[in-house]
Amino acid sequence: MSTAERLRALLQRDFDLAPEALRSDATLESLDIDSLRMIEILFCIEDEFGITVAAEPAEIRSRVTTFGDLEGYVDALVAAGGARAP
Amino acid sequence: MRRVVVTGMGVVSPLGTGTTAFFAALTQGHSGVRRTDRGICAVVDMDASLHFPAPKLRMLDRVSRFALVAAKEAIGQASGALEELDPASGGVCIGTGMGGAETTEEGYRTLYAEGSERLKPFSVLMAMSNAPAAWIGLEHGLAGPNLTYSTACSSSAVAIGEASRRIARREADLMIAGGAEAPLTYGTMKAWEALRTLAAEDAEDPSASCKPFSKDRTGLVLGEGAAIVVLEERERALARGATVLAEVAGYGLCTDATHITRPSMEGQARAMRLALEDAGMPAGAIGYINAHGTGTEANDAVETAAIRHVFGALADRVPVSSTKSMHGHLLGAAGALEFVAAAMALASGTVPPTMHLRHPDPLCDLDYVPMRSRRVPALEAVMSSSFAFGGTNAVLIARRGN
Repeated sequence: MSTAERLRALLQRDFDLAPEALRSDATLESLDIDSLRMIEILFCIEDEFGITVAAEPAEIRSRVTTFGDLEGYVDALVAAGGARAP
Repeated sequence: MRRVVVTGMGVVSPLGTGTTAFFAALTQGHSGVRRTDRGICAVVDMDASLHFPAPKLRMLDRVSRFALVAAKEAIGQASGALEELDPASGGVCIGTGMGGAETTEEGYRTLYAEGSERLKPFSVLMAMSNAPAAWIGLEHGLAGPNLTYSTACSSSAVAIGEASRRIARREADLMIAGGAEAPLTYGTMKAWEALRTLAAEDAEDPSASCKPFSKDRTGLVLGEGAAIVVLEERERALARGATVLAEVAGYGLCTDATHITRPSMEGQARAMRLALEDAGMPAGAIGYINAHGTGTEANDAVETAAIRHVFGALADRVPVSSTKSMHGHLLGAAGALEFVAAAMALASGTVPPTMHLRHPDPLCDLDYVPMRSRRVPALEAVMSSSFAFGGTNAVLIARRGN
């Protein structure tokens, strides 16, 4: 499974998000993912991908505004071996 | 002072979810007490996933789940109570002794037992003691006072009393009030065990381990759950054609200030007297007392003496029962659950029994309605008493609604 597929499966399973809603250009706002929900999603992503998200939430928010951004962000972390946030 | 009525009630209890199931089990003398891997306790059997979607569920400690489910039932029964309500004139008062104890314990287990620092992101929000009240206010859009009371075993009687006062004093028109508790974690059970107040398991029937007022009582049995009521200003409730279930007629509050655990006869009697004065009723008007009746050696004898002190010669004529014999001691939710039990006795004319009372104690010599419920059709007013570690005594009186 690609990162995007795993991410979709996780968001669908644990966060009740419909797969068809998870388009690359879908904003987190349109998915009802506020800063609090994002913290939990990152926590679950850490478990799912065995990575550590070391970046501060504000920094992530400035970089990740759509589902596509999130996918790219996680992809980069996985590629870096999860040692630290890019 | 304005008059305050109850227009909705909701319950999540070891005897079932919903007031109907709860009261039917009470009057039939069923027990929710059983043996578990944590010891003898009264556990709620509720599938929370039927009530909340998964993402919401993960934000809610067990105690908040109980509170929200009970609040939903109460608000549903008080149908239309929140319509045409100025959100600022509606509030929430909830009592809890331990708040999100399960989340706290899980966090410590992760940290100390598993040696991991990965605590769940919502640990703080789930464990905080005001989470149940906050969620009720959020879900139902109540923007007036949102308060959490923690006075141990009298927490939710205090919550109902204080909420009533706010309505009486025109500070609110509607209050959601009650209590929630989910203390049956391994750590909490062990802490209570260490205090040596828990009942020994009944060798023949574990469900009969809590024996209030019985000579062979050995202590209290912990329980969990929530009980919530909708309180409204009386004229408002009548004007919208609501069914009035009961009136909160009296509230007595005082503190022993003598000992951290040992109950005081004077303190308990004073709280009962204050409630009667507040209701403007003579003791003779009370047709049923839902006692604090924990099943500990100290409480039951002291409470009996306090009732005698207040009721005098009338004490022998008033039925007194401890429903803790069936639902256990819900700590911060106990006062509200027992207030609901008393209000339902008032409305139905059936007084629930004190179960497992087979051996009379000379120090406990009132009419405890032993072993079988009783029809008392002419009930006009009932009393519910809650006395706490720390010494806060709270007594509520409910009067027939219409």
